[in-house]
Amino acid sequence: MWSYVFKRLLHMIPLLLGVSLLTFLLMSLAPGNYYTALLQNPQISPDTVARLKAQFHLDQPWYVQYFYWLKNVVRGDFGYSMAYHIPATSLIVGRLWNTFLLSFFALIIAWGVAIPLGIWAAVNKDSWIDRACSLFAFVGLSVPDVLLSLLALWFAAATGWFPVGGAQSPLYDFLPSAQQFWDRAHHLILPAIVLAASDLAGIMRRMRSCLLDTLRAEYVTAARARGLGEGWVVYKHALRNAINPLLTIFGYSLAALLSGAFIVENIMAWPGLGRLTMEAFFAKDSYLVVDCVVMATGLLVIGNFVADLLLAWSDPRIRLK
Amino acid sequence: MNLLEIKNLKMDFGADAEALRAVDGVSLVIGAGETVCLVGESGCGKTVTALSIARLVPTPPANYVGGEILLNGQDVLKMSNGELRGIRGGVVSYVFQEPGASLNPVFRIGNQIRESLKLHKPEKATNEEVIRLLKLVGIPAPESRIKNYPFEMSGGMQQRVMIAMALASEPKLLVADEPTTALDVTIQAQILDLLSDLKRRLGMAILLITHNLGIVGDMADRVAVMYAGQIVELSPAKELLRRPLHPYTKALMASVPKLHGTADRLSAIPGNVPRIGNFPPGCRFAPRCPIARPECSEKIPELVEVEAGRFVRCPFWKNERENITAEAPRRGDK
Ligand SMILES: Nc1ncnc2c1ncn2[C@@H]1O[C@H](COP(=O)(O)OP(=O)(O)OP(=O)(O)O)[C@@H](O)[C@H]1O
Ligand code: SF4
Ligand SMILES: [Mg+2]
Repeated sequence: MWSYVFKRLLHMIPLLLGVSLLTFLLMSLAPGNYYTALLQNPQISPDTVARLKAQFHLDQPWYVQYFYWLKNVVRGDFGYSMAYHIPATSLIVGRLWNTFLLSFFALIIAWGVAIPLGIWAAVNKDSWIDRACSLFAFVGLSVPDVLLSLLALWFAAATGWFPVGGAQSPLYDFLPSAQQFWDRAHHLILPAIVLAASDLAGIMRRMRSCLLDTLRAEYVTAARARGLGEGWVVYKHALRNAINPLLTIFGYSLAALLSGAFIVENIMAWPGLGRLTMEAFFAKDSYLVVDCVVMATGLLVIGNFVADLLLAWSDPRIRLK
Repeated sequence: MNLLEIKNLKMDFGADAEALRAVDGVSLVIGAGETVCLVGESGCGKTVTALSIARLVPTPPANYVGGEILLNGQDVLKMSNGELRGIRGGVVSYVFQEPGASLNPVFRIGNQIRESLKLHKPEKATNEEVIRLLKLVGIPAPESRIKNYPFEMSGGMQQRVMIAMALASEPKLLVADEPTTALDVTIQAQILDLLSDLKRRLGMAILLITHNLGIVGDMADRVAVMYAGQIVELSPAKELLRRPLHPYTKALMASVPKLHGTADRLSAIPGNVPRIGNFPPGCRFAPRCPIARPECSEKIPELVEVEAGRFVRCPFWKNERENITAEAPRRGDK
């Protein structure tokens, strides 16, 4: 078990190396760098710019930059944000935490709503409940994240029930801790719901079809034939099996959530990794961009790993192999 | 009072205009401790008839439109859900065709057997009882097996587990729906031997469903032959094997795989099995019957007791002139 965990974590290393290398290459393909814009500024002498460039190795080819970056990363130093003038690590930790919070709550909302709804629709197949759920899923699948985010912003502005963007109010630092908690939660709710909504419909439909499949399985008839009650048959024998294929999509669901978070963060001004990546990219704050991409990849890989562990825990056929 | 009395059972799939009759006037009696075989080609309605005994065919799509199923004198078709749960396992237990599919893949077999015990014999829901049952069905080293998941066992062992689970509740009737069709030939014989042996020791009645008339002789007291949703011949097993009366039974006999125990689908009878909703008028076997005459297609023949204990759904059963043995060479020619 532990050797498996260790092996999986080891597998992450080449992946992260590849992703970071590719990001460096792509960044180098775009013309200019962070200091190109500064050259236009008459107040800063070209000498200063050249010195700064040299300090960050921006005068070197991209692969040399990459090795400087890598050397520092191995020592736990993720480089320096040229735009923010602070070490990238301190910037990223806060943003990563925000993205994690947003995705985590979106995940809980999405699965927490989708699973019961999917079960409900399957158990009451072809009833009005089932039809209402599939209509809802159809709408959910056809509205893009961008539109939903904009709608949510408009809703927040129109009703005043929710803050319009951001992760905390301007006065956050002066609030007592109980109110600080509420303030953060208040800011989190709307973006989390928007992010969850995009994932929810798919999970619900999947849950419904998985449960309907297992309800047709012979072991379900066999369980009924033994005299087990219908509730027991559905919730123990059928559901327990229907959950396994769902756990395999848990990994995909995470990926969808992270790319959704990228859009939601940017539109709803949620200070997460997605927004930071975007800002860094346009500022050509190259080391920060690579850091962000590596972090997002890491988040995804760890998420998939958790999904695999869950599946192994749930399905003996996988666990024992 | 008989253990099971199915009287003129009629069941459709679908309702109203789209209704397709799958079981059409089946009557069958099984006494306590008796073994009855139900034989017939694929799709003739054996499984739905057997599942009906504990009302296990979901309604809808199924629709019971007539008849009674008396189990210990009580009509299963009129029972409440609670009463049905009592007879399922309590009076009638099932063993199905695919042991791998009828065991829940994510639970240990010991747990699954214990679950049945908890339901029907709560005072006996112990590991000792599970081990005793596994021993009863001939599973070696049962102590180490109870922790196994179904996928860790062979098909034959899985079927033994299914049988153990069926016996856990001490049913009066064991319905075995093609229990050996999915297994290797050598294992098939072992499972059938196990069933005969268990029956001798425990004295329950068995309804054995099979494609294969070849295994009937060793197991059955009586045989019901089904064709297109109807019983066409019902007879004590020995007499039926010695002297089949209905042309369909004769055709079945002629197509029995010669190697004892093989489970080839009965495909040797010329012509196609009629699909439900598409039964020919009159005698349903007429299009494939070697001695059919025009009047056969006029009305459905009755199931008539032609000799003591022998029922046949064919008015021309006495016709010896053109029986199947005369037919067989012609089939062989082409
Ligand atoms: N759920 C269902 N919906 C509609 N038709 C069904 C359903 N289940 C069975 N049937 C039909 O009812 C008829 C009888 O089916 P059944 O399973 O009882 O046949 P069988 O004699 O057991 O065949 P086999 O030897 O292949 O198991 C078949 O024509 C089948 O297509
Ligand atoms: S009734 Fe006619 S067609 Fe039907 S089995 Fe008898 S002889 Fe053949
Ligand atoms: Mg069948």
